[in-house]
Amino acid sequence: MARKQRDVLSVEWVKLELLRTAYATRGGLFTVFDPRVVIGWYLVFAVVPWLTHNITVLAALFAATAVAVGLCRVGPLVLGLFAFGLVTETVYLFAVAWFFDGDLHTVAALVTLSLKLGIVALASMAAFVSLDPEKLSDALVSMKAPPLLSFGVSYGYRMLPIIMDEFHTIVDGYRLRSAPMERKGFLAWRVPVHIGLTLVRSFYPMMLNTAKRTRTTVEALETRGFTFAGESAKGRDIRLAYLRMRPRDLALLAVTAILIAGAFAAGELNPLFARDF
Amino acid sequence: MDDVIAAAGLAFRYPGAAEPTLKGVDLRIARGDFTAVIGGNGSGKTTLCKAFNGLIPHFWSGEFSGEVTVDGVDTLDASVAALSHRVGYVYQDFGNQLVRPSVREDVAFGPVNFGLADHRERSESAMRLLGIDHLARKYVWELSGGQQHLTALAGVLAMDPAVIVVDEPVAELDPARAEETYRMLKRVNKERGTTIVVIEHHAEFIARYARSVVLMSAGTVRWHLPVREALGRGEELAEHGIPAPQIIAATARLIPETDVPLTVAEAAQGIREAGLEPGAPVPEPVTQPPGPVIARLSGVSHGYRDVHSEVSTVLDDVDLALCEGERIALVGSNGAGKSTLLRLLTGLNVPRKGTVEVDGIDTRSVKPARLADRVCYLYQHPEQMFLNDSVRQEIAMFPTQRRRPDAESIVEDVLDRLRLTEFADRDGRTLSGGQQRRTTLGIGLAMAPALLLLDEPTASLDTATRNDVIAMLAALAERIRCVVVATHDMQLVAEWATRVLVLGKARVLADTTPAGLFGDAELCERVNLVPPQISVLGRELGMHPPPLSVDAFTAAFAPALAGGR
Repeated sequence: MARKQRDVLSVEWVKLELLRTAYATRGGLFTVFDPRVVIGWYLVFAVVPWLTHNITVLAALFAATAVAVGLCRVGPLVLGLFAFGLVTETVYLFAVAWFFDGDLHTVAALVTLSLKLGIVALASMAAFVSLDPEKLSDALVSMKAPPLLSFGVSYGYRMLPIIMDEFHTIVDGYRLRSAPMERKGFLAWRVPVHIGLTLVRSFYPMMLNTAKRTRTTVEALETRGFTFAGESAKGRDIRLAYLRMRPRDLALLAVTAILIAGAFAAGELNPLFARDF
Repeated sequence: MDDVIAAAGLAFRYPGAAEPTLKGVDLRIARGDFTAVIGGNGSGKTTLCKAFNGLIPHFWSGEFSGEVTVDGVDTLDASVAALSHRVGYVYQDFGNQLVRPSVREDVAFGPVNFGLADHRERSESAMRLLGIDHLARKYVWELSGGQQHLTALAGVLAMDPAVIVVDEPVAELDPARAEETYRMLKRVNKERGTTIVVIEHHAEFIARYARSVVLMSAGTVRWHLPVREALGRGEELAEHGIPAPQIIAATARLIPETDVPLTVAEAAQGIREAGLEPGAPVPEPVTQPPGPVIARLSGVSHGYRDVHSEVSTVLDDVDLALCEGERIALVGSNGAGKSTLLRLLTGLNVPRKGTVEVDGIDTRSVKPARLADRVCYLYQHPEQMFLNDSVRQEIAMFPTQRRRPDAESIVEDVLDRLRLTEFADRDGRTLSGGQQRRTTLGIGLAMAPALLLLDEPTASLDTATRNDVIAMLAALAERIRCVVVATHDMQLVAEWATRVLVLGKARVLADTTPAGLFGDAELCERVNLVPPQISVLGRELGMHPPPLSVDAFTAAFAPALAGGR
């Protein structure tokens, strides 16, 4: 079997996909809005699904967030993981319902839950794919989150490429230096075991190598006034000066309100209650 | 002239350390000076510089005595935050100093934290001064090493400090980028009058940029002298692991009485004025005909997909044959495709077009783990190769996992050869840079490959350790059929290689010998390589082929000296 250069489904691809997602390099619908409004939008869709059992409403909300995900150009990795989760969960639900002698009612009740979780997941994908780390941490600061939290978020993003690089190097080290598999075993069961073991063994060296780098970071933070900024409000005001609500932000809020009202209206007209079966 | 830094009786012991790291340092650095701090590993250079910005004693609490005044402020009374308006620090691992995602945000981080209203002007003017204003919107992980270094420097410069400390800029940068950093430091020094303190191993940079030199040894300042006088003390420097620049060593042998030359032009002039001329050129040694081919690349093209989904071309239609008995140096600026070529030879990547064959095996047909029986690849950063808990396990990993019958004796032999027996049970990550490098060489040796690939084996080592590694590479030759080294270290190229491949513009720009490369000024210029000073001096004096070492240079003058006396 001849190997070839793979541009998808390789460690390199996962790394690039994570970076594209985290740093919003694809652009997309929400990048032009005030980050606080985007977080607000997300919170609305994270809360509203829990206020109803009406499958019609939930389906409408699901459709709305799915459209948002499309407009926000969410990448294939995240979307693929989501679809994989949704499909396996559905299969699992039917299997469990069937196994425990359930009927359509049971399935409907379980579908309600799946839909709710799906809506929240879709909304968070749409919102966070569109927020680069700068905007996200500034929005958190302006919403009076503790400075350590907002910095932690932005530093987490900063660490992401570093951790991915370390990980890639170490996995390559294993690929070169550990013994190749002699046999693949029945149904190639040894392959996932081998990959799994490598991943687990990579964790410790990866964390050590990453941790070693942070010592400089901690010193640099101290000399660059991070502690000082925690105690003074001036830096905060400067950092947030650019955040401003514009008409388009208000428009987004209005559209969101209309969509949700519409979903509930549709649910009123054409109710499909999970509990009424 | 007023002193911007004054230390008196400074002593410091890290908590838990048996010995103090600094013992009674007395030092005065004049405002506007460009000072180089030199000294062997562990002489206290970095600790001294961290005492300037208050990290010692405020952040690293330990036993502190004596007095340090920076820009008129006693560091013991001031906080680290207050001192950061006066002293800026650029770390050796500068990449970890960048804490914000984008360049502009990172440069403005300091001024914004301190609530300075003119933060925008400060960061813009710092970026402009360093010529990186076009990068403002980039994310820091998109930058090359040199750009990251300048970003870290801009972040420090935006605070407009009186002193900037830069810790070993050459360690992690290729020489052309390090040169750029030094030019920028000189500009800052000149335009803003900022005092610059660099920690530096490379005497050539010191000769060209510094005005005074501080020699540290065993936690004290040996002396602080003007640069010409300092570099004239060749023997004393060599004792502390800093060899004098090649041109100084050469002129000291030919014309001992003259002033120490700081540039090649000065050295050439001095030698000409003394009436010395090189003798007839030594004929180039007859090169051995190359042995059988170990690895072959035919029509290889490769590239990577970036975050914006564009495929870059790193190698374009490259044909190469690497033969038995060759010591090959792979040179070219960062991003020229050196590492890509090495990765293709290991089979970690397979080419998008063309074929790579190692020992007759197409790399597409087997997994890298199989190919590893024939090829070994040693990373640039040794600690990234450490996957186990001790040096012995690292070296044993390959032979034992592959059930080599004599695994145990291989490991003992390798430990012994590389003088690692005494560290055999320690974790590789806790060793010094030189010991770590030896450990990785041990990993390679235990794999007993036909083809050994090394990425920057001499980067960030002090001179003594570096020479040690070069000697070891020479000794490996008897066991390994072909060695390829990717490097920026032109002295390594001159002293070790038998063949040089210059990569650039996705192609092999030249396939030559070290003398062939350094004798061709136009080629060096075109591929942005700085030959060893001794070769440049030789060329200046009309020697062809140019000398590759100080010994070869002075040998050429033997007839002239004999005739003169």
